[in-house]
Amino acid sequence: MTARLRRLVLPLGVFAGLVLVWELAVPAFRIQQIVLPAPSGIVRTMVQMAGPIAFHARHTLVTTLIGFGAAVGLGLLLGFLIGASVTARDALYPLLVGFNSIPKAAVVPMLVMWFGIGAVPAVLTAFLLAFFPVAVNVALGLATLEAELRDVLRVLGASRWQIFRKVGVPRTMPLFFASLKVAVSSAFVGSVISETVASNAGIGYLMAVAASDFNTRLAFGGLFVLAAMGVALYGVFAAIERRVTGWAYAE
Amino acid sequence: MGEERHAPPHVHLNPQAVAIRGVSYDYVTGGRVTRALADVTLDVPRGSTVAFVGPSGCGKSTLLKLIAGLLKSTDGVIAVDGRSVVGPLKNVGMAFQNPVLLPWRSVLDNLLLPLEILRENGDPRAPDRVLWRDKAIALLGTVGLAGAEHRQPRELSGGMRQRVSLCRALIHEPALLLLDEPFAALDAFTREEMWELHQKLRLEREFTGVLVTHDLREAMFLAQTIFVMSANPGRIAHVHQVRLGVPRTLEQLYSPEATALMRTMREQIRPSRQAVA
Repeated sequence: MTARLRRLVLPLGVFAGLVLVWELAVPAFRIQQIVLPAPSGIVRTMVQMAGPIAFHARHTLVTTLIGFGAAVGLGLLLGFLIGASVTARDALYPLLVGFNSIPKAAVVPMLVMWFGIGAVPAVLTAFLLAFFPVAVNVALGLATLEAELRDVLRVLGASRWQIFRKVGVPRTMPLFFASLKVAVSSAFVGSVISETVASNAGIGYLMAVAASDFNTRLAFGGLFVLAAMGVALYGVFAAIERRVTGWAYAE
Repeated sequence: MGEERHAPPHVHLNPQAVAIRGVSYDYVTGGRVTRALADVTLDVPRGSTVAFVGPSGCGKSTLLKLIAGLLKSTDGVIAVDGRSVVGPLKNVGMAFQNPVLLPWRSVLDNLLLPLEILRENGDPRAPDRVLWRDKAIALLGTVGLAGAEHRQPRELSGGMRQRVSLCRALIHEPALLLLDEPFAALDAFTREEMWELHQKLRLEREFTGVLVTHDLREAMFLAQTIFVMSANPGRIAHVHQVRLGVPRTLEQLYSPEATALMRTMREQIRPSRQAVA
């Protein structure tokens, strides 16, 4: 078995095993469906409800990606600023860290007060959770530029802007792309939190409604969809990262 | 060979490649001023290589940065080609112990980086990428890296990377090459190969070299003049002319004269080491 195949087959095998144990445990221990439905039952409900689930999943995806996109923009900007200027770093970095330590779930009610129930608070929550890793990674990439390299270029008459463009930016790209997969996961968490609290669409909303109806199967179905979406989003950005900045990973 | 006093200043008549007059450098850490260099006066004749040796903290790397214009001296004047240094020089090659190649660029593209910058800045020496590409490939050939132009830095050994770094420092044909312990991280045999390579390049290209090193044999092999520095604050303590002829061979480093000079320099460096401790 090749190493590549092994890395794919082993976790899938463990996953299948766990699902099987779950499937068998539910009837074996006479667990009520309302407490913990069997996986087969959950999948049946998911198929029956495929239309609404797809609608809500698309809503969550769009919300996540809008918030993520805005976060990448601001994260890059802040990261470049903090990485390139010591003054900007001293002024902004403590604030960023402070801001990042606020549990974002606590911000959602505020956003709902301002923007009402709907997609806007979800987009904003996704944005608030996602920009920090981007900003920090980009800043780190710029701030750790080797002094020797800077000197080599400065004695050629290179300006700060040239050093930033020719060395700083490309050097930061692996960290930037590494931060994207973290950021997209964070954005996803943000939009689902907000949907759960105050929305009228999205998988988070679907799950909240299902839970209040004691429709445990549908709630679990929503969870499955979230897991699949989360893995897929992460996977897409991890793949992009490997393609774009392969030089940083070889060996 | 023997010790000489500092040459008298006559900067204007025959401009030296580098002329340093009464240069001091203070740096501030935590509100305390420390004098790193005190009253350094010396000349580097055009086309020669000088070496600075001395204990750690004697300010030899600082002196190199002052010459390059990367630091500004507290007192005194430094002139390169008869013009006083006020900011980073624009026609200098530099190489360090760490080769700092760009891992996302091939060997060739690493070499072309200085030219890209010169070209963007409208420097007439970097007219045409194609032309320079051929020059870069030829230069790689002279350092024994023919055919390596499309390899990635991570595929190269430490010695090969250091050769590329040296090529990058020379690709734009600088008049002045500044080397800060460029071979310190290499094994002994690779280091000796690099000395011979450096000598060959210097004889072909006639640049002026300033070398900072801990290695007395390296200084003897590469330099015509060796400045022995003492620490706290950094000063030029002794000056030695190395008269081993041109070109030099590694064999000459074992001659009685070379051995005697090496012993003298060791004795001169040792007391200032004890003063630090």
